[in-house]
Amino acid sequence: MRTRVRDVGRRFLPLSGIALIGLIWFVASRSVPDLPSPVQTWNESKTYVLQPFDKRGEMDQGIARLATYSLLRVSKGFLLGIAIATPLGLLLGVSPTLHRMFDPAIQILRPISPLAWLPLGLVVFRKSEPAAMFAIAVCSMWPTVINSAAGVRAVPQDYWNVARVLRLSRWATFTKIVVPATLPYIFTGYRLSLGIAWLVIVASEMLTGTPGIGGFLWQEYNSLIYAHILLAIITIGLIGFALDRLMGLAESRLRAA
Amino acid sequence: MAFLEVSSVSKAFRMDQAERCVLENVTLAVERGEFVSVVGFMGCGKSTLLSIIAGLIPPDDGEVRLDGELVRGVRPRTAIVFQNYSLLPWLTALENVHLAVASAQPTWPRARHRDQARRYLEKVGLANAAHRRPGQLSGGMRQRVAIARALATEPDVLFLDDPFGALDALTRAALQQELAQLYSAEARRVTTIMITNSIDEALLLSDRIVPMTHAPRATLGQPVAVAIPKPRTPARLTHDADAMHSRARVVESLTASVLRRRPVRPEPRLPVGDIDVGLTAVPTHTEA
Repeated sequence: MRTRVRDVGRRFLPLSGIALIGLIWFVASRSVPDLPSPVQTWNESKTYVLQPFDKRGEMDQGIARLATYSLLRVSKGFLLGIAIATPLGLLLGVSPTLHRMFDPAIQILRPISPLAWLPLGLVVFRKSEPAAMFAIAVCSMWPTVINSAAGVRAVPQDYWNVARVLRLSRWATFTKIVVPATLPYIFTGYRLSLGIAWLVIVASEMLTGTPGIGGFLWQEYNSLIYAHILLAIITIGLIGFALDRLMGLAESRLRAA
Repeated sequence: MAFLEVSSVSKAFRMDQAERCVLENVTLAVERGEFVSVVGFMGCGKSTLLSIIAGLIPPDDGEVRLDGELVRGVRPRTAIVFQNYSLLPWLTALENVHLAVASAQPTWPRARHRDQARRYLEKVGLANAAHRRPGQLSGGMRQRVAIARALATEPDVLFLDDPFGALDALTRAALQQELAQLYSAEARRVTTIMITNSIDEALLLSDRIVPMTHAPRATLGQPVAVAIPKPRTPARLTHDADAMHSRARVVESLTASVLRRRPVRPEPRLPVGDIDVGLTAVPTHTEA
């Protein structure tokens, strides 16, 4: 009986946390003149939420449509990022020389904000779409590089010994031992990279003015419809949460295997 | 010249700035087809010696020759069974064996690789567990897979690095027995060096037992021949006069090495049988 009460309490706790933040929002909206309250936000946003696939104009679209644009853009940038980062990370893991050579460069490139990469992308590619993709890729790839490399270095000596005793070729050692042993690390990298890629999307859409959830946010700010900023923020949060959960699921599957 | 010759091998490891000599002037000769066990205390450098003979690590001094050839790196037609199984956890039992066979016999057609892998899994009684991964197998089953993997490659030389050391006593006894039977069933006699800390295990399987003195500066003592017809059973060994004699000689040699090193300490109790019992109080590192 007691444990059941505690169970219910546990399930209730996350909801009460969200409710508490809603309350803070409500109180804040009372004292800040331009900040819409939760109710006001819902009233002004419900057409976007209830007709999520409508298209009324370039930026005036249902929330699911906007999110889809953003997700497509993110997946392109993310896939490009990990397509470069995975082999690079494995290579740095295998070769201590390469690692020593590139580690400082990576540590310098890693903390650079997407807001800094994007203008460079625009200069180089002259178009907003490839520039956004470039910014997402270049910002999100580092956790995958670092984790893949760490994963290779963490391959137990036992497995290297197996490779030597079985006299596996370099290629067989790589495909049969290094990659499977490193896979859980690589996926942790992917999960972190995807989180960053989603963070970058808003910044890149704001700067390039492309349609998507971030572009929508910026446009609504310029049109003084502040409730829609909050709508966009909540949507970004929920999608980010869902993406992380999905990657977490894939990751735990791999670990169990 | 013997098939396997270890001549004056020495090895030291650097630990915390201090050189620690693990092996000193180790010499051993093994004839083709012979089964030799090196028996010694835990942490006495047995595994280091085996790694050197197998070519996994180079010696500081001295050399190892196999069939007249200097051992540099792991040689073809060599198999090793490690104490911790060392199976690849992402492959099934069958795939683990298959990978070894395919890599050892690249000229065979694929179907033959698979048949060979299956056959050896059957030999160790794991036909039903062929498609399970190591994580789903017990310790004893994993070690059976590792033994199947080693034998399926049809090696000339087999190194067993305390193969049953991680198993519970009952499983250990059962697997020793199985290995003894496997050996007598094989048509070819595989030259084998086994590292162990159990004299009974050595008596059950070996033609010769070589006691190893305690590290640091471990070296090999006088070999003890075991002239008991194979296959042997533990039941017979407990009563056999030859076995008792051999056991006593190995124990004597090992005890002497401990006593020589630690004259001031109280005499360690050495039960005749498993030597790792009763010696747990003796520290491994005495010299800084």
